[in-house]
Amino acid sequence: MVATVVVLWVGKALGVIHFPDFDINIPRKELGKYGLLYYNALFMIVPTLVLAHLTGDVQKAMEYDGWADTVFVFQFVLSCVMGSSRNAATSKKLNASGSATMNKFSQTASRSITGSTSRRSMALHADSKILDKGSLQIAKHAVQVFDEQGKNVTPQPLFQSDPSAVQPKQSKIFTSQDTSGVNASDLLSTMSLYQTGASASFAGPFTRSVFGSSSVSKSSRSTMESMSEEIEEPGSRRDISVYLSDVQVRREEAREQITEELLDKTVDGYLTETETIWLLDMPTVMISVDSEEANTIKQKNNAYVGLCKNRAGNDQYIERMMQTFNGAPKTKEVQCEKIDVADAGVMATTWDMYDTFHSAEVEPMDFHMAEKASQSASFISSGPERTMSRMSSASMTSQSSSAVDFDSVIISKIPKAEEIDPERILRSENFQQDLFVMERIILENIFQPKLAAYRQLPILTESDCYPGEEGVVKKGNADVETIAPTLHRLWAFTCELTTGRNDLLAVGYGKFDFQEQKEGLVCCWSLKNPMHTSPVWQVKWIEQERGPSGDDKGETLIAISADGRITKWYLRKGLDCADLMKLKRTRSEKSKKQPGEKDRKGEALISRQAPGMCFDFNTKDTNIYLAGTEEGHIHKCSCSYNEQYLDTYRAHKASFDDENQSCALFWSMQPARNLPLHSPFSAWSPFSPDVFLSCSADWTMQLWRQDLLKPVLSFTSTNRAVYDIMWSPKSSTVFGAVNEGSVEIWDLAASILDPTVVSPASPGVNLTALLFATKTDCILIGDSDGQVSVYELKNLQTGEDSQICFTDYSYKPHGQNKLAYGSPKVYWETVYWETVLGNILRNF
Amino acid sequence: SFQSEVEETLKRIQSHKGVIGTIVVNAEGIPIRTTLDNSTTVQYAGLLHQLTMKARSTVRDIDPQNDLTFLRVRSKKHEIMVAPDKEYLLIVIQNPSE
Repeated sequence: MVATVVVLWVGKALGVIHFPDFDINIPRKELGKYGLLYYNALFMIVPTLVLAHLTGDVQKAMEYDGWADTVFVFQFVLSCVMGSSRNAATSKKLNASGSATMNKFSQTASRSITGSTSRRSMALHADSKILDKGSLQIAKHAVQVFDEQGKNVTPQPLFQSDPSAVQPKQSKIFTSQDTSGVNASDLLSTMSLYQTGASASFAGPFTRSVFGSSSVSKSSRSTMESMSEEIEEPGSRRDISVYLSDVQVRREEAREQITEELLDKTVDGYLTETETIWLLDMPTVMISVDSEEANTIKQKNNAYVGLCKNRAGNDQYIERMMQTFNGAPKTKEVQCEKIDVADAGVMATTWDMYDTFHSAEVEPMDFHMAEKASQSASFISSGPERTMSRMSSASMTSQSSSAVDFDSVIISKIPKAEEIDPERILRSENFQQDLFVMERIILENIFQPKLAAYRQLPILTESDCYPGEEGVVKKGNADVETIAPTLHRLWAFTCELTTGRNDLLAVGYGKFDFQEQKEGLVCCWSLKNPMHTSPVWQVKWIEQERGPSGDDKGETLIAISADGRITKWYLRKGLDCADLMKLKRTRSEKSKKQPGEKDRKGEALISRQAPGMCFDFNTKDTNIYLAGTEEGHIHKCSCSYNEQYLDTYRAHKASFDDENQSCALFWSMQPARNLPLHSPFSAWSPFSPDVFLSCSADWTMQLWRQDLLKPVLSFTSTNRAVYDIMWSPKSSTVFGAVNEGSVEIWDLAASILDPTVVSPASPGVNLTALLFATKTDCILIGDSDGQVSVYELKNLQTGEDSQICFTDYSYKPHGQNKLAYGSPKVYWETVYWETVLGNILRNF
Repeated sequence: SFQSEVEETLKRIQSHKGVIGTIVVNAEGIPIRTTLDNSTTVQYAGLLHQLTMKARSTVRDIDPQNDLTFLRVRSKKHEIMVAPDKEYLLIVIQNPSE
């Protein structure tokens, strides 16, 4: 305060400023800014001192140690000076810069008591200013310009604010601020500017110029904005100023706020439609013609119209152009990364869609399966026979990635943790099956023409199959029942092994159903089978109609052996055998038939029982069967009787030559309806139920009838032992016989004495077995070389003589053969144990 | 064992009359077993794979529940037989008239 006084006095003395001297009669107008300050300060010294004394600041100031510090003193003096100049500055209209700096200065200075006092004084000062709002306005007028004549030519403000209207608003707004009182005063002054925006043109340039020169502090700005928002003018014109100021303000704002970070920030721009800005709205006024003012308005209108007409060349009207400012356009470029485009095409096939649907269903199922698999340990230890889905479950247990990969439909999704081992492929079951099929097809290709001829364009199932046999060497397994069934693909076989082996009986056994075509069993029996003590001669499957002990229609194996027993084998888990019949020796022709009687006449045989050579069942009545013995007798037996023969047919002379003894019995029977189920095994003529043929080593073939004990017919053609005989299934009078050297086809209708067709066999080979094919005109001949030959009968017509020729397709078992076809029945065939190999399995 | 049986069967197939070559390739076309030279094998595998795909697509288009089990292509000189599977291709080339 004192400093203010000193400064002002000095200033006055220097003539820099001037204000009227201290006279009592100072006119108010002439006081001036400085005068006001000066006298104000003078007045305020006194009460300030009193206050300071009261609060004890004076004592503190006296005791302050800093007086000795030159820096402090300097700063103190400066602050006083500044304070005084600030006081001066506040009276100016918008010396905001000075005030801003003052503000800062005052804020940064951490001063002594005097500083605080000065601040307080300032605050007081400001308050005083606040209180005299009206005086502020008057203070504006303090700046006065006088010309040389003393006239007051102070430029009048272009607009007058309406204090009455402004004041309440000002007060309201002002109370919301609390920071600097100085700024408030500034704001007040600016506000006054706004409030009185009488015309746009007035406010416009004014505000612009005002704002152009000002650098407004932040707080003031914000308050101004809030002010502008809060201001609600009745007149729309004032809004313009507000908006313009807003624009200006924001422009300032924008400039200051553009920093690096802001540039990098992504800005979202929203485009909205602003409200319509009405620049001029003069609504038309409509007045009724009948009203009182009508005439005056009409006159006015007319005058206006006249005015418009006169306006064209009138001097009073000057045309003036206006141009709107065009903002400088600026091009802006934006570049983005190239978007890679790829074409993708898919062909939606029927199966693709089906697969997708199916896998969607299967996957949850498999998922459950996988879960179960992981839970149970036994699942894991599955062999490679498992299906693919199980193999994936193995991968799950090996802690592969995710269970979602478990897709049994698409194998390729198996995670890589699992071995992609080529060996695994080779080991897979599918592969083996495929190999099997492939081999078949290859061989079919090789033998195709022959097969076609053989089959005679076959349909459905094949009639014949040629399984081989495998000889399994069993040495010294006397006690063990050597049934060694091995799964054997029917088309692979070796035959030679049994040649020359006396102690082995290898039987090829194929079991076929209509459905299962490729299964076979090869059973190897050692003749040291304890069940049979001597060689088994013939083994045959019989379908029993009345099976024992509930084994209805089971297939059982009947074997007849040289030890005189006919046994029935049950194929169960092991092999059971039960004796059907024990063949007893019968006496010679001369003696009576005495069952159970021993005949030791001149026989070197030790055993009590007659060696049975062959047997055959009556297909019509499967309980009846014939058995032939070495002696040359044929016995008719029944399954129900174990001890007795029903009949005995004697015809053949016995031969004691074991090697060549053979006897084949063949029933004949009437064809039954369900023929395929029975075995029209060679033997009987399918046309006559009571007739059967037999052949033996005595070079003869006999034709019998069931009830006659003597043969009806006898055929002799060669002087060789007839090994096998068979009726033709197609013709009632044709049968075939095979003897040592040839195959003979007899046609009884043609000739009784001579065979119709004779086909010699290759030299050195004994033909041992004969079989007719049921569905085709083929004959299968087995010989002692282990070879099975197929002969095709051509042009064989029943009841007529015709040319018959043989076509020979022989199959030599080199390693592999195939030609396994499905057959619906199980079959056994004899193997002549010393020579072997005409293993023929047959079906019907 | 499975292994030896498989090997034995493969050898047997190869030794059949008229068989020119036997190829086993995996799903990626890498030969696992072959009796032909590598370039021929690769060529056969690639071409037959495509043909098998097409054939299978055809079969399944007609009836999606059906699937291709075997494919035989007979030409003047040879017959090519393919047993397709999801994991492998078994190919045998045979000259049946030999």
